[in-house]
Amino acid sequence: MIKKNFPNGANMANLFKSVKRLLKRKFTLDEQKDHQSGPEKREHRKDQAEDWEKELTKSKDYQKSYYFNQKSGKKFTLTYLSTLVEEKVMDNNAVPPLLEGEFHHIDDVKKLLPLADVELSSSFKDIPEKLLKGSVMLTLEGDKVFAFISSPKQIVRSVSAPEIEFSVVGPKEAFVEPIDQNINMIRKRLPLKELIIEQFIVGKLSLTKVCVLYIEGVTNKEIINTVKQRISDLDKDEIADSSYFTQMISDNGNSPFPQLLDTERPDRVSSSLVEGKVVILVDGSPHALIGPTSLTEFFNSFEDYFLNWILATFIRLIRLFSVIFSIMVTPLYVAVVTYHYQMIPKDLLITLVTSRRVVPFPPILEVLFLEVTIELLREAGARLPTKVGQTIGIVGGIVLGTASVEAGLTSNVLLILIALAALASFTTPVYQMSNTIRILRFPFLIMAELWGLVGITIAFCFLLTHLLRLTSLGLPFMEPIFPLRLRDFKDALFRLPFKSQAKRPQYLRTDDPIRFSKKKANKKKDIDE
Amino acid sequence: MKKSCLIVTLLLCLTILPGCVEKKVIDDVNIATGIGIDKSEKQFLGSIMIPVFKPDKSFGNFTFKAKGKVIRDLVSEMQKKASQPIVSGSLDIALFGEDVAREGLINTLDVFLRDPSVGARVQLAVVNGKAIDIFKGKYGDRGNAQYLTQLLEHNMEQQNLPLTNLHRFLAAFYQKGMDPYLPMLKKSSRNLVTISGLALFKDEKLVDILHENKMYYFKLLVDHHTLGVVKVKEAHGESTVKSIGLKKNIRLKGRNPYTFSIKIKLKGDLTEHQERILEKGEIREIENKLAQQISKECKMLIEEFQRKNIDPVGFGHFAKTRTRNFDYKKWNEEYKNAKFEVSADVKLIGHGVVE
Repeated sequence: MIKKNFPNGANMANLFKSVKRLLKRKFTLDEQKDHQSGPEKREHRKDQAEDWEKELTKSKDYQKSYYFNQKSGKKFTLTYLSTLVEEKVMDNNAVPPLLEGEFHHIDDVKKLLPLADVELSSSFKDIPEKLLKGSVMLTLEGDKVFAFISSPKQIVRSVSAPEIEFSVVGPKEAFVEPIDQNINMIRKRLPLKELIIEQFIVGKLSLTKVCVLYIEGVTNKEIINTVKQRISDLDKDEIADSSYFTQMISDNGNSPFPQLLDTERPDRVSSSLVEGKVVILVDGSPHALIGPTSLTEFFNSFEDYFLNWILATFIRLIRLFSVIFSIMVTPLYVAVVTYHYQMIPKDLLITLVTSRRVVPFPPILEVLFLEVTIELLREAGARLPTKVGQTIGIVGGIVLGTASVEAGLTSNVLLILIALAALASFTTPVYQMSNTIRILRFPFLIMAELWGLVGITIAFCFLLTHLLRLTSLGLPFMEPIFPLRLRDFKDALFRLPFKSQAKRPQYLRTDDPIRFSKKKANKKKDIDE
Repeated sequence: MKKSCLIVTLLLCLTILPGCVEKKVIDDVNIATGIGIDKSEKQFLGSIMIPVFKPDKSFGNFTFKAKGKVIRDLVSEMQKKASQPIVSGSLDIALFGEDVAREGLINTLDVFLRDPSVGARVQLAVVNGKAIDIFKGKYGDRGNAQYLTQLLEHNMEQQNLPLTNLHRFLAAFYQKGMDPYLPMLKKSSRNLVTISGLALFKDEKLVDILHENKMYYFKLLVDHHTLGVVKVKEAHGESTVKSIGLKKNIRLKGRNPYTFSIKIKLKGDLTEHQERILEKGEIREIENKLAQQISKECKMLIEEFQRKNIDPVGFGHFAKTRTRNFDYKKWNEEYKNAKFEVSADVKLIGHGVVE
């Protein structure tokens, strides 16, 4: 399992506050004054020293070991949480010099230890916080000051290939849970002093590190401020994943549409940064959030950029078609079969009627039955381990499908349509959006059943109005379709060649709209020229 | 408050308004694809053709019959016999017995006109005999109605039948100075129907039947574009010409009496010749011969129309568009005395390898 390690840069005030609440301690102002005050209140101070240990001693990983220095014969203790501290470093690098060196006074620690991060302190309030961050507390007999030796345990997962946004060509690295590792991956791709990484601590109990990344001089300041303000306004006890942020800081929390793009690809993140977007990284989450986004971006796979622009555009248009198809095909089936028999071509009529005739249900029940079956299969497949999941696919797809047609519960035409719709919905590259598409067809189905094509039109109007009202970090979600910005089509529904991508997207209102010189990009230097 | 009002309204709409729409699930209705109207003594004899979808995906035909004086009454009479409601939204073809057509079609067509579910591209045809006899046969494997519509449609697109449908019929009927025309069908054997000619109307009543041999020339006169086949005979033998392009120019040359000049410019392919090899200059000969033939036949057709006092080409309407203070009442007299100059120019652009 992965343990979070809190480095020293954490926001002290916040940390302290939270720890205080965690330990249910009542530090009053008076008591704090006592820390600095003279020996007359030593009694009180001793109480406190025992107090901070009270909760920690209950934990099994709390370690306190006693040692004697061989030279001075002084007794010293090392206190730490074994799960957070790299014990190898302690045993090899810290303990031997302390045992053998000239250790008379606590100040000698700095000389004795080869470890860089040694801090002296006399304040009790620091103790739990430091211990929880992976420091070892060193106390010397008869000394009021104690030393903190920082040696946090680094449990790091190796970088693996992206699973959700897999691409055949292109880089094969995906984010992992520790935030430092993720930042490292981005920094490596963008060695820029202008790449700013601002850190926030969110979550009263989880104290999760959240980083906001942007390139200064490119990203619009207003967007940065919006993100920063929204993050600092957050009030929650625990942040488990970056998807919490998608829900909490997006403009409309009641929309089924995700308004921040989540990605596990460092290449996608760095190219978004270059475009002038803001990226949010959350410690413990292998997904970065990109904002502001627009609807079309959710149907763009990052692989599009690795392919020739003609292929990429073709694939994007296929995705767009498949999304519309996936949402619309079953509602259209219901509407046409229930109300608009006139629309069916005569040659198709016989296929539809003969397959429908044996079905005892009205079209809507038939469709709902199959749609729910498909959703069940998906959900069951998602909850089960991969190997069992395949079995589910076979059971669901082949056995249930053919059996339900043979039993006369559904018509085989509909079965084909449902299967196609499910297949089409898988083409959406962003998982969050494909979930949205799953759910969108149900209101359409109901409206189709109630009013036929008129109902579908009404539902579509509602959907369109909702999409037009949506914003992502204050910027229109439907851009470039509405507001119509023809120039931004270069990388929305289409993916035009790189030489026409010389400018940053208009809607981001970047501080520096020009990415590179178009003239130079167009010039092709040949060796014989 | 505002929000709750909206939700209540939406809920009311969702629960109450669905009752306003009538459901017609495709397998729970009888989809009428063809309708036939005949005369039986003083009443109408109506027949409605329903395709029967058999489980092995083949078609059968079933015909409902009823008698009545009003068309709507016929339909409700038929509903009494049907286990599922008969719906008319997918109507493909309407057939009329010759006797019905002679008495006037517009009362019947009015029923279609007032039913928004009936499309404007329904094919109409007059039957040489009884419409119900045509429904009795079994043609093709896609159902009778499909067979009949396809029969008409492909002849309109590629052969000598001029384009007609409900829309064109009504447009010609309501247009002053223009008379409608419809194809004429005849049952030739138990499972074959042929196009036997064209029914020419004076207003709504059938007055004359054009023989199928003349349909080519008729189509040249009334349609914008034509793909049709014509036979030419000259000194070296017979040959067939398929026209592939038509430019027609009608001009009003004089108004007292009304004189029209019709110029037909035809491009065609020589598709077949009696002799295997063409002689030198024979192409020119065929062209000239065909041009003569077209101008002669067209002129004869128009003169025939003048005698019958019908105007399927719409010369009256044409004259009206080019004449100030045009008077239709006078036109009826003037049409009889009108003069027509027909000239044709034929160019054979392809021979040898054809089609």
